[in-house]
Parts: sequence; structure tokens; C-alpha cells
Amino acid sequence: MEKFGIGQGIRRHEDFRFLSGKGTYIDDITHDGMVHAVVVRSPHAHAKIVAIEAQSAMAMPGVLLIVTGEDWTREGFGTMPTKSAVQKKIDGTPLNQPPRHALAIDTARYVGEPVALVVAETEMQAVDAAEALDIDYDELDAVVDPVKALAPGAPQLWDDIPGNFCLDFELGDKDGTQAAFASADHVVSLAIENNRVTAVPLETRGAIASYDPETENYLLENATQNVHANRATFAGDVLNIPEEQLHHIAPDVGGGFGAKNSAYGEPALILYAAKRTGRPVKWINQRGESFLSDTHGRGQLSTVELALDKDGTFRALRTSTIGGIGCYCWTVGPFTPSGGAARTQGGPYNFPAMYYSSKVAFTNTAPMDPYRGAGRPEASFQTERIIDYAARTLGFDPVELRRRNLMTPDMLPRKTPMGLDVDSGNFPEVFDRTLAMSDRAGYRARVAASAEKGIRRGFAIAPYMECTGGGPKEFAGVDFGRDGTVTLRVGSQSTGMGHETSMPQILAAELGIDFDRVTYVQGDTEATPIGGGHGGSRNLEVGGNAVLQAAREITAKGKRIAAHLLNSNEDDIDFADGAFKDVKTGQSIAMDDVIEASFETGRLPEAMDPGCLDTGTVYEREIITIPNGCHAAEVEVDPETGAVRVERFWAVDDFGKIINPLLADGQVMGGVAQGLGQALLEEIVYDEDSGQLLTGSLMDYALPRADDLPEMKIAYFEDAPTAKNPLGVKGAGEAGCCGAPPAIVNAVIDALAPDGVRHIEMPLTPEKVWRAIASAR
Amino acid sequence: MYEFQYHRPESLDEAAKIFAGADDPKFLAGGMTMIPVMKQRLAMPSDIIDLSRIGELTGLSAGAGMVTIGAMTPHAEVAGSKEVEKAIPALAALAGGIGDPAVRNRGTIGGSIANNDPSADYPAAVLGLNATVHTTARDIAADAFFTDMFETALEDDELITRVSFPAPEKAAYAKFANPASRYATAGVFVAKTATGIRVAVTGAGACVFRVEAMEQALSKDFSPGALDGIAVPADELNADIHASAEYRSHLIGVLARRAVLQTG
Repeated sequence: MEKFGIGQGIRRHEDFRFLSGKGTYIDDITHDGMVHAVVVRSPHAHAKIVAIEAQSAMAMPGVLLIVTGEDWTREGFGTMPTKSAVQKKIDGTPLNQPPRHALAIDTARYVGEPVALVVAETEMQAVDAAEALDIDYDELDAVVDPVKALAPGAPQLWDDIPGNFCLDFELGDKDGTQAAFASADHVVSLAIENNRVTAVPLETRGAIASYDPETENYLLENATQNVHANRATFAGDVLNIPEEQLHHIAPDVGGGFGAKNSAYGEPALILYAAKRTGRPVKWINQRGESFLSDTHGRGQLSTVELALDKDGTFRALRTSTIGGIGCYCWTVGPFTPSGGAARTQGGPYNFPAMYYSSKVAFTNTAPMDPYRGAGRPEASFQTERIIDYAARTLGFDPVELRRRNLMTPDMLPRKTPMGLDVDSGNFPEVFDRTLAMSDRAGYRARVAASAEKGIRRGFAIAPYMECTGGGPKEFAGVDFGRDGTVTLRVGSQSTGMGHETSMPQILAAELGIDFDRVTYVQGDTEATPIGGGHGGSRNLEVGGNAVLQAAREITAKGKRIAAHLLNSNEDDIDFADGAFKDVKTGQSIAMDDVIEASFETGRLPEAMDPGCLDTGTVYEREIITIPNGCHAAEVEVDPETGAVRVERFWAVDDFGKIINPLLADGQVMGGVAQGLGQALLEEIVYDEDSGQLLTGSLMDYALPRADDLPEMKIAYFEDAPTAKNPLGVKGAGEAGCCGAPPAIVNAVIDALAPDGVRHIEMPLTPEKVWRAIASAR
Repeated sequence: MYEFQYHRPESLDEAAKIFAGADDPKFLAGGMTMIPVMKQRLAMPSDIIDLSRIGELTGLSAGAGMVTIGAMTPHAEVAGSKEVEKAIPALAALAGGIGDPAVRNRGTIGGSIANNDPSADYPAAVLGLNATVHTTARDIAADAFFTDMFETALEDDELITRVSFPAPEKAAYAKFANPASRYATAGVFVAKTATGIRVAVTGAGACVFRVEAMEQALSKDFSPGALDGIAVPADELNADIHASAEYRSHLIGVLARRAVLQTG
């Protein structure tokens, strides 16, 4: 029993299925009579759709249906509204929100925007007809850069939204920050870009829609992170049907990272196609389409300013950002460059004053929505880069400057100037442990060894503090079978994080039953009444606590049954190690006996019915938690070519209670890999004039590969528990993206400090590094 | 992909007959370029003639100062060959650095040089080692084989059968890989051969090319320092989102010196 307890590194239950090719992803599913849909996407960044001549394509072999914007308008389908947590401009008026339909109605506003859907008997027939579809476009000027989009004279994306302006935003104490800047000994300022990236999940987006004319019910099997919220959009906003008529399932989903959070247009299109054709309709994005049409992330241009005293004490932090979000608000596009990046400004440092402001622009690019961290990695990078830059330009030791300004435990709990409720954490201790782990004693020798080879070596440490997010409520249901099986249903959802292991682990440990007996069900609107899906590192924090709550409700019921069976007072019953025990008589009864009794009327107390242990419960978070930690990197830089290699990496993370260290390690490693990608390799590039995507394949978009990654040493700090939730967890999913980019970038700057290099924008490609060295000389 | 007829002949004669009788045929070697191009519908051959079953195109031999590699030999086989490793270690190392394991196990030397991608690695070895390309029609010297971007001296119906590499006194290949594709952003093959010093550059220009100034300098003094001050002008080089022409010009210098150093 112990080996499946909380805190044990159980190997993933789902691994065998995934690693042996037995997973069920969308493209593995086939239905009788299934037909195939292909999305026709705009080849232009901005163009009027003058006419679509569908007749000849319709006449091609096997073609069943062609859907255009005209059809969509005629059907009267609704638009998909933004769910951004920030909905107002600074002046209190609502943000500017263009109507977002499932496909372009009369104007296409980015390369890859759906313009039509072609459905045919076979995929090849659909591809042929899509290619033959005659669309007359009238090309318009495009703007992809958010700064240019906001400038006077820029091409206008929407007639009724002047200046491509979505919203402006501010948070913090503007005047107090201004005063601190005015009276500080030093002020440093730096323009910092968070490069635009995309998630590239292993499984591209795809879905199958079916329609039953008798019941008028739809079934949507979809590679999504969020069945409940997206059902609400597809059913309520688009199709105008009651939610119950749309059964939304996410089978195994091969990665999401935020890019599968939102309600995209394509599933809505095939739902309609399924009804029109009377056939199940499958649509699978190709990889190239994925680059064009998946939501992107980051893409923020900021000016970051730090005010500090001559002894190095931080006085204030001020960040002003411009973010481009594509031509729509999408699902939560406006939030990331506003509230998302604002909240965790300043990281774990003691800032008396902070102020964040931003402007959000519409651009002729793919939409922006959350990408692993959604604003927190941006904030962490901005904070750590400006601190590092201040240390370099003012002559402070970068490690010492950080250490002296960290919030100390005696300052907690506190609300940061950004309104973040920091209840727990020991930032200096986590910092010191990271330093200790990273073998500073051996550093000089490693620098010398690198120098032997003509290589520069650098080190940087990056403490971070972030927060969880996503839906605040979660459902957990537990059903007991007479055969001893236990089914656990939860509304949060895994796209590869291992919920099938960690969630049953919590239930099994709490109930004292065998882990292998638990069957896990997720990603199904009929399995749970509500569900928050995946996002914001919320699963253990919200879903895990729902499981714990369900388990505790079950053991409470179990106590009543045990008391009845043992002829005891309920108050005298203790539950521990899988058994109910009368503390007075010493008599005990095993959980399994209680479960068995729960099916038999004769063995139950009067008020209880057979099956009474089945439990469904909703847990609601009150306040988001504060995952934090400290990452450190050692890099080698080849000054001749500019190539960077991350040589060593250390992480000490405070995720609160660790449920499964093996899965936590996976989260850290994956996050660090994506952070390394952003720091060194990845960047979505659009052509400035044409708005064409230049990084439209894996030949041009550089994802990190296994051999780009260093060996990582990972440890956890569990000595600053949070009381914000019963499980004591803080969230683990996005931390790597917060810690890795500043650790890696600042380590490169450290390596090149002797050359006089002070700043290089991400990604630190070899040519950029080489040029920085050359221009610093 | 568009529809096409698929053939898998077992001899060169059979392949030639199919080719002659087809409308717009294409030969398929490892398919590392052809298949992605077809999947994206950028090519519409009427017939695909898969060469994988033709015994005459396989085999690898080394001896008498010569390594001969059948056109359909995958990169991994060259990289893993003890004979190649012994005769021309730089060639084995180059093959072992192409793409990734999947590419190295599917991609072939014949396919690579017939395609003549400006960023491919093999053309640098063929040109740098002064190899001979044997075809169904003739023998072509390396210097005459690569003509322009994705262009070679091959006729449409002409197939590479094997490539023979004379073993050099010493040689090395230094590559700076594109982090996304792992093709060469720039790659320099330096060889000291019986007929003189050869320096071949791939990845940087429209097509693999030799750098005479470097060859002459190294002929006088085979040391990295001999290359100081010799640069390939940026205006002759490629520029894309991964690397400017100026950076490529710089890389050629760095890689050439490293290759000389690596030859030991």
C-alpha cells in the first residue's frame, strides 16, 4: 500500500498505452460512414473575399458539402466571445472585440484563417476539391507588428475599431512608483522582447463530429484541453442549442500547452457539416496548418525599468508592454499581455512599489491565446532581465543583488503591489539551496576548462514566483462497483501530464485501497457535470483537492457504516491505513468490508441506501496558489560562431506538497525544455510586408531536441506549506517556463560580460550572439 | 499527394524501361525530399520508380585507396562502416552527422547528391574528395557534377549507380548545423588529396563550391593560420531567416580553420 502513497514516484499508469502505440487519439478513431473535411485557409494576410465559386468543386468526385462564410451567415450562427478575465480598458469602457465566427465571413485577416470547409467521402477527394475551390480575393495591406499596428496610418483590420486598438490596461501604484523612481539613486531601463512562439503539440488539432437526427444530439470528439467550456461556446454561442445536446469528448490528447485550450472554429464547422451531411465528419490538421492556425504565445514588447538605491535595495519596478493578439480577441487573447503578465511582475523580490501598463493591438497574424504560463513567464523574464542588466551596468554582483532583495519569510503573508496573495514560501532558503546544489566551488575550474577550448562559460541564477490559474471549480466523482472496482471521474483533464496516475494516487492513498483498482475517467461532458479542463497548473490544486474532498466524504460515510457494523459510536471511529477502528474497543473493520457492506441494505444504518458510498463533489479554490522556486544554468558560448550550449541546469522548486516526484520531474523538465526553446531556438517569424509565415514548418521553426537539453538536477522544497488548499499543493506545470529563460539568457550574458555584451534579445540564435560580441568589441 | 503510379523494379534495365514508358516519371531513392514535396503537392509525378529493390545500386567497398558506395546506401550504413571509418574517417563522420537517425536510416547518398540541396552535407564530401559519380551512362567528375541550386549534370533518365571516393592523405568536415533542420547553415570539407588541397563549401551558396584562395593558401601552408584574412565575399552567399550572408561568410572562415585543425 505504502508504495502507492502520496509522495511516491509511481510510474505512469498510462505509459504502457502511450509508449506501445495503444493510445486513442482522434486520428485513431473511425466511425461507420465517416467522411472527411479539409479546411480551406486564406493564403493572404489580409484580403477581401470577393467571391467563392463552389459549384465546380461541388461537382468533383465524392464531394458532399462546401461551407463558406455566406452559408454561415445564412444559418445565423453566433460568434465566439472572448472569456478574457480583463474585459475593460483603463477608462472603464469594454475592450474592443471584433466578431469572431468559425470562419472568415467576407474578409480574411491572417494567413491560415479558415475561409471554407470542404467535405468529401475520402480525405483525398476533400483535398482535391479544396485545391480546386475557386476563391477570388482582393488583397489588402497587412500589418503583423503590434507597434506598427497601433501607429497612425497602419492598415486597418476592422472598420469600427480605429487604430487596431483592443484595450489598454494598468495595474499597481502609478504615483507611488513614479515617486520611487524620482527619488531613487539609480534607474535602469531596458527594452525587452518576449519572442512569439507556438506550442507544436505532438498531436495536431483534429476532431470528429457526429449528429443523430432522431435525438438531434451532437457528439464531438475533439483534441481539446477543455470539453466543458468549449461545449458552452459551440452549443450556446455558435449553434444555439442547449448544452445537453452536445456531448463533447476529449480522448487521449497528445499535448496542448495552452494551444488546445480555446474554442477554435474548425470543430464548429464540422458539427454543422455532420448535421448537413448526416455523416460523421473527421478533420485533422496537418503540421503546416498547425503552425498557421494554432494559437501562438508570448509576443510582447516591453520597456522595463528598475529603481534602486545605491546599496542595491530595490525601490520600484515599472513595465510597459505592447502585445499583438492577432485579428480577434480569441478566447483569452487580451488577458495575457494585460492581467496575465501583470500579476507576477517583480517575482519573489521585495518591491515597495510596482506599476504595469500595456496596450494590446490587433494584427494580421494567427491568434494569441495562452501558452504554458500565459504572462507569468513573460513577467519572470522581464523582472530577471532588468535585475541582471542593473547588476551589470551598475557594478553589483548579480547573485548578491538578487539574494539581498528577496522577500523573507517574516514578510509573509503579504499582498504584492500587483495584488498577488503570497501566503507561503521561503525564497532565500530556496535560493541558497539552488546555489549549494550548483557546485559553485567547482565553477572556476569549469570556466578554465572551457577557456582551454576557446569557449566562454557563464552562470546565472533565476528565482521565480508565479501563480496558478484556470477554472476555480472542479468536480470529482467516485463510483464503487460490486466487483471491487473504483471509478474516479474528474473534470480536469490531462494532455499528457499523468492525471491517470496522480489522481488515483490521491484517492487510493486516502481510502487505503489498491491503486490498481482505480479506473480514471476524464475529458467527457457526460462523465462530470462540470469540468475546468487543463490550464494554469490547476489540476492538483483544484482537481486534486476535489479528489481529496470526495475521499473525505467517502470516509465520513464509511465511519457511519463502520459504527453501525461494529456497534460503536460514530464519534469513536477513526480511519487510518485502510481500516475503521473503534478507539475505545479496539475493534476494527477494513475499508473493503465497509465497501462490501455499502451494497447490502441489511448491513447499512437506516438512513443509508445501497450504493451510498458513491460520491460526487465540487471543490472550489478560494485564492490562487503561489508556485515558486529557483533555477540556475551554466552555459558555454562559442565566441567564434555564437553557438550556445546549456551545459548544466539546476532547479529547486516549491510546488508545496509533492504528490508524485516522478511526474513533478516530468513537469519541470518539460517546462525547462520549452523555456530553453524560447530562450535559444524558437521564434515565429512573419514577413513584415506580405504577412506570410516564414517559420511554417519544423525545418524552419527550431524546436529543442533531446541533444539540445542539459542534464537537469531537480529538487523540491516542501517546508513552506500552503494552507490555501487541503492537499497543500501549489501547482507545477508552468514553472519551468518561468525559470529557464532568464536563467539561460542571463548565463549567456554572464559568459559574454568580459566582451562587453549587455543584452541580446531572445531567441539567442548563434548569429545574434555573434553579432552582439562583434558590436560590443 | 496527387495520384501516381508506383513501381518497384528489381534491375536498372527494368527501371529504365518504366521510365521510358511513363509520362512524367520520377525516381525515388530514400524519399527524404521527394516524399515531403509530394505530400505538400509541390510535385505531381505521373510515376514513381522506387529504386530500393535494385541490387546493382547497393553495396559498399573499400580498398586500394578507394571507397565506393552504392547509390542506394543509407547514410547510417556509411557512418557505421568500419571500412569507411578506416579509409576516410571524415566521410564516415560526415554521414553520421546528416539530419537525424530517421533520415540517416532512410536517406541515401545517391538521392542526396542527385537532389543537390544547397544545404546538404554529401555534396561537400563529393566535391572535397574529388569523387567520381558513376551513372548508368557515364562517369562524372565531382567538379562537373554539381551545376546549380538543385541542379546537377544528370540527364532526366540517368541514374547514379555508385560514387567512388579516392582516399585522401587527410580530410575533415566541419559543419554548423541549422538548429531546426540540422542541414548545414554552412559546412566546409577540407581534404589533402593526391591531386592537391581541396576546400568545398556547402550550405552557404546556391550550390556546393570550392574556395580556390583557401586551397592555394593551404597548399603553401597546411595550417589554420594560413586561412587568416581569406573570406568568401558575402554577396555571393545565401541569406535567410536563419543566417545572413555576412554570418555565413564568417562561418566559412571559422569552419575552414576548424576542419584544417581536425585533420590533425
